[in-house]
Order: sequence, then C-alpha cells, then structure tokens
Amino acid sequence: MQKNNNQEPSKFRAFLSSDTFKGLLPFIGFVVIVVVMNILTEGKILTPKRIRLLLSQVYYPMIVATGVFFIMTLGSIDFTEGSTLGLASIVISKLSFISIPLAILGGVLTGAAIGAINGFFHVKFKLQSFITTICTMFLFRGVCAYLTTESAVPASTEIKALDLNWLKITITVAVLLIAWFLFRFTRIGNDVKAIGSGETAARFSGVKTDRVKFLVFVAAGALTGIAAFVNVIKVGSITATAGSQLETQILIALVLGGLPITGGAKVRFSNIIVGTLMYTVLNNGLVMLGYETQTQQLIKGIIFLVFVALTIDRKALKVIK
Amino acid sequence: MSNNVNLQKPAQKHEGGNTPLLIAEHIDKQFGITHAVNDVSLTIDAGEVRGLIGENGSGKSTFSQMLCGIYSIGGGSFTLDGQPLHPKNQVEANNAGVAIIVQEMGTLSGLTVAENIFFGHEEPFMHLGVKNTGAMNREAQRLLNEYGFGRIKASDMIDRYNFEDRKLVEIVKATYMKPKILVVDETTTALSQNGRQELYKIVDAIRADGRTVIFISHDLNEVMEHTDSISVLRDGEFVGTFRTADTSEDQLKRYMVGREIGSAYYRADYGEKVSDEVVLTVDNVSVPGEISNISFQLHRGEILGFGGLSECGMHEVGKAIFAASWDRTGSVKLADGTAINDIPTAIRKSIAYTSKNRDNESVIVNESIRNNIVLPSIEDLANHGILNNRKLTAFADKYAKDMQTKMTGVNQFVSDLSGGNKQKVVLARWLGKGSDILVLDSPTRGIDIGVKQAIYALMDDMRKQGKSIIMISEEIPELLGMADRIIVMKDGTISGEFMRDPALSEEDLIAKMV
Repeated sequence: MQKNNNQEPSKFRAFLSSDTFKGLLPFIGFVVIVVVMNILTEGKILTPKRIRLLLSQVYYPMIVATGVFFIMTLGSIDFTEGSTLGLASIVISKLSFISIPLAILGGVLTGAAIGAINGFFHVKFKLQSFITTICTMFLFRGVCAYLTTESAVPASTEIKALDLNWLKITITVAVLLIAWFLFRFTRIGNDVKAIGSGETAARFSGVKTDRVKFLVFVAAGALTGIAAFVNVIKVGSITATAGSQLETQILIALVLGGLPITGGAKVRFSNIIVGTLMYTVLNNGLVMLGYETQTQQLIKGIIFLVFVALTIDRKALKVIK
Repeated sequence: MSNNVNLQKPAQKHEGGNTPLLIAEHIDKQFGITHAVNDVSLTIDAGEVRGLIGENGSGKSTFSQMLCGIYSIGGGSFTLDGQPLHPKNQVEANNAGVAIIVQEMGTLSGLTVAENIFFGHEEPFMHLGVKNTGAMNREAQRLLNEYGFGRIKASDMIDRYNFEDRKLVEIVKATYMKPKILVVDETTTALSQNGRQELYKIVDAIRADGRTVIFISHDLNEVMEHTDSISVLRDGEFVGTFRTADTSEDQLKRYMVGREIGSAYYRADYGEKVSDEVVLTVDNVSVPGEISNISFQLHRGEILGFGGLSECGMHEVGKAIFAASWDRTGSVKLADGTAINDIPTAIRKSIAYTSKNRDNESVIVNESIRNNIVLPSIEDLANHGILNNRKLTAFADKYAKDMQTKMTGVNQFVSDLSGGNKQKVVLARWLGKGSDILVLDSPTRGIDIGVKQAIYALMDDMRKQGKSIIMISEEIPELLGMADRIIVMKDGTISGEFMRDPALSEEDLIAKMV
C-alpha cells in the first residue's frame, strides 16, 4: 500500500503522533491563541490593564481546576463544581456576617461534604462518576436556586474588603504549590495516576483504590470551597447563576491544557496552568471581539472538539469511570 | 445462510499442497523506533499447516495481524491466491478469506453467542433493516452442534460463558465461513486439554479440505505435532522455513534464540526434603460460585503447584489468598497468626500475586515501567512520606535489569513491551518488594522459551532462599517439572494431591482433573 514511502513525511508523521509533540501542543496552542487574539483585537489584549483583568479572572477557576485535575487523572469526571461553588459561596456569604474565618471554614466544609457525597456514591455503589455527579449537580443546583429565589444573598462588607490582589495570588499559588508537591513527591500522585491507567492492576499492587478515589473527591470539593471564598470577595453577592457552567469551563480548560480525557499516567501538572490561562484568554478575546454569547459558545465548542480529537490517547480509550 | 460458495474454491485446487496460496514479499512494520517486522518474505502453500514461531517480540503476531487487517501493512505486499491483499480491517480480511483467532479475549461482552459468531456478517439475517434473531440463533446453534460444542447455547449472552468456552465460540466465528487461511495466534494457551483437542481437530479438517492454517504457538511440542512446516522469526527478521519432519525442537530453539539452549529447563532435583515449617495456612476458604472449602498449608521453601482445567477454580484460589476475591469466607493466616483479609495487608506481610490476566490485573499497561515496579514498595522508598524520584528510578532500574527486561529505559511505557517482558516487569516488582510468599498464576503463559527458562531459574533460586511459591498453571509439564507438591482441583474443590516424583505422569494428573 505504502511501498515507496519516502522517509521524510513518515518521520514527520511519527513526530506528530509522538508524546513529545502531544506534550508541546498545549504550549503551542497557548501561543497561537494569544497571538491570534492579539491580532484580531489589534493589540488590545496585551495591554497591562487587560492583562490585570485577565489575571483577576484566572484565580478561582485555577483553584477549582486543580481539584478536577486529580479527579480526571483518576479517569473520573466531576460535573458538580459549579453548583458546589454556588452553594459554598452562599454559605460563606451568610457566615461572613458572623466571622470571616468561620465563613472560610464553612465554605471549605460545604465543598468537602459535597465531594464526600459524590465520592461515597461513586466508590461504595460503584456508580460511574459521570452519572453520580450529573445527578448531584441537579440536586445542588436546585438547592442553590431555592436559597436565592427571594433575592441574591449578600456578603458582609468585611469580607468584600478582602478583595486584594496579593491575597488572591497568595491563595492560588499556595494551592498550586501544595497540590504540585503532593502530586510529584508523595505516593498520592503515583496512586492517582496508577488508578487512572489501570484500576484493577493498581488495586492488585497494593493501592487502596477506594480510599484514594473517595479522598480525591473530598479534596476537590474542599478546593472548590476555597475557590468560593475567592469568588465571594470578588463579587460580593451571590445569585442563582453563581458558578453556572463552571464545570464545563474547567473541563474545556484542562483539555485545552493537554490533559488526556482518559486520565492516567500521561497527565502533566502544567495542564492546569496552561489550560486555565488559555481558556481565559480565549474567553476574553471572544468577548472583546464583540461576539454574542451564542457565537462564543459555538467557537469554544469547536475548539474543544478539535483539541480532544488531537490530544486523546486512543490506546487508553475507554468509558470514563 | 449463504455459505459463501466462492470461499470453497481452493478445495478444488488441492493437489499435494504445492500450490502457493499466500506470498508475502518484503513485509515491513515499524512502531516508533521498534522495527517489529523487518523485510519478511515467505510463501505458504495451499493445504498445509504452517507453524510460525519465534520469541516474544520476534514479530510473528505483528506479521499475522497485518495479514488479518488488524494492523495496516507498513511496507511490502501480500498476494493471496493470485490476488493482492490489502485488508483495511478484519471484516475486509474475512471477506478476502483470511480469519484469525487471537491470543486474548476476542468476543464482545453484552452480545449473544449468535451475535458474536455473525458479528460483521449479519446481512443474511437482515430483512429491510430488521434482524431476524430467530434465524440467526438457529443457524448459530446448527454450527455449534456441527462443531460438537452443542452445550453452548446460541441465544445465551456470551458473558455467561468462561474464557475457554468463549474461545470455542471464537473458533466457530473464525472458521464457519471456510476461510482460505486461518491464523491461530497463541490460542491454545487459553484452552484446557479438551479445548486443545477440539482445536487440533479443526486444524486437521482445514488441511484435509486443502485450505491453510498459520499456527502461532510458544509450545514447540504442539507445533512439532500439528504442523507440516515451520517458519522461524527472530527480532522481526525471517530466519527460515523448515519441514517439520526434517527438524527437531532443539534445532528450532537454536534458530529462535540464535544461541544454544541448555537442556536444563526445569529443576533437576528430586527427593529433596521440604521444610516442615508452615508459612501459610488456608482454612476452609470459599468464594461463591468459584471455589468451596479449600484448605491447605504452604511450607517454607516449597513450590506448591495448582493444576486443573481452566475453570476448575484454581485461579480463584490465587486471588483468595491475596484477599483479592469479593465475598471470600474462611481464613488465610500466616505463621505469626496474621489474618490476610485485604490486599495492602497481604503485600505488607510479604505476599506477592501475579494474575493470569496479565494486562488487566498485573501490569498497569498505560504506565511507565518505573511506576509499575515501584508501586508496592513506594512506602518503603518514601522518606517521611516524601518521594525522591531519583531513588525510585534507581530502584526500578535495578530490578528491571536484574530481570533482564528488554527496554529502552525505565520510563518506557509497559504497553510497548512484549508479553514476556511485561511478565518480567511484574516479577521485578515483587523481587523489589522482597516478598517471601509468591502466588504466581500462570507465570509463563504466552511466554517464549528464553524468558520461561529465566522464570524457572528464578523460581528455583527463590525456593533455595527459603521463599515459598504457589504456582497455578494450566501447563502440566511445568507443574511436574517445577513443583514439590501438586494440588489438583476440579469443580471448585481439591480432587487430588501429589508429591514431587520422577515417576509422576501427565495422565496421573489429568485423571484427577476431569
């Protein structure tokens, strides 16, 4: 069929399908998106003011994405971030009138509790995370809507006064550093990747698969609770749409960042950072170009599809747990 | 059912088996840097059974999978019966008259037996886009009865049957339409003695019909017995084709390995006294639907073999000891009284387990060699919970090299390795952990001679160091050659026990198995 294959194109094709290239793809994509957006907006996106605005939108998605990164490395998926963020934000806002540390604690516990519910059903009842979290998403979205029907939930002025860049940067960097350390230098990272690559074999090699999965869901929920705090200090009052579609945004961001949708050993921690930045630039660029929301969604959908198709590890392809 | 008349053509051409049926010219395939098949040219006649042998990674499976449309042809050409053959997928290959029975599970869960048999060939049963299930089931049942597998019901879900019965269904699927060439790729390792006999009968029938079989196996004995000629591959290259009648097992081994293989294959000693010290006591262990009331003791420095037909429950015994079974009752206790009720305890208390289902239960295929090897030892390698990646790499590298794993480095993914090298990674993992009790389920399944010999030597070494081994195996010669004691199982219970003895024969064991 390809008898007289000359060497050049086959080497090039081999490079295109190599892991090195797939690892570089997100970075190339990031540069391309920044350059394209910069040209289309006639340089407006790279002004200091814009960059500051961009960064202010990065913090809480990046914190949430860190938790989801671990879940997706397991080969699982979580659709509850948006509703968790909404609910945790409401708890934080209400408690912020009593005490701010209490508010933060309340937010983190709310997130952890939702994560625990997801993890419990996923692990104990062997329900796929996909199914479990779609159900709980509806449940908690309902709770959010119920709590905000009368009016938006306001937060105290004390907590709004904390809307300081250095604080948000510190929280985000701290979360990333701790997560990176756990992922890279403790057995948690190894266990999570092993489960994502082959759960039974991991269990037969001594990984406490059920416990690890449950804890990852709890931790991801708790991180969303922290993100909710960053959200509250920024927006100040919580409406029914708080965190709406956050789960899909995070999913797109991580996949744009090069995270294989099947999870496993080929994930890289940099996926979180590159992905979130890329998504934010893309999102802002589309807004600046004056596209309507519908058109924006359409474009994001297409880019998402192309990226999944380019980065997916077909050898590891299976149903998401 | 239209019994594709055109496929019967070669039968008329059968005149002593000298008509070339398949001509392969300069067949080539590369996977990244691995040259899996390197410029292989060979001719296979109509009406012959051709053995295709070689060590793991020699390219025999890749070669035949290109022929069957599973892999695309990297270079060169196949000519089948005068027609060029470029199958893009298995269905195309089937239609051209090439069928394959693969090594691993080749049936689809969630479909009935009949749907599996006619998968990709449903047209005869379709009327205006609606499937006539009754007709399909009847035809499938007719075929099953014809093959003598009447106990398998065509309308049942395939999931109701065990690995071996599913293989039989695959055999029917691959052969009912009378392919010109049937490729049997390591199928016998999944079959018990009975199943093998069935397969040999079918192979003989195909030859008698003037059609051709390519028979891939690691079991040279079997290859010698059932083929007319044998082609040998080594490291992706074609070594030569030999008439079975004019060659010997030793000669073939030399061609395969490229060097002399000693005759010391199994351990040679007999009559050595095994220690009385009990290291593991299994008491009244049952797993619903699998095994019932299994009790035995394992001694220090003993190799305890478990034999039986593949569905006799012996594989579950391995899982039960390692606490990997669901719903196990009864007790598994170590000499110090520790009860083994969960896998982490089993591993911490020095029990190792390798599964028969290597790709799903032993190695993590989509993970690096390094991370596979360090997995159970990770707690020991951590310093206050903190991992030193350089230390992990050095650890994995040491044990992978001790096992002489063929790899580009420990960061290579296990998915790139051949079956034998995967097994080396599994063994390296437990060698690194320093486990004292090893439960090895089918340790040499689908593995070539070179690696087999290394695994037997390793087991013998471990035994001499006072480690205890439970070897579960469907290979009777291996049990006779390696075990100090053999427990035979049948229908989930222990049916016999034999001590190591040169006078012990395969028949003695088989008598207790069936």
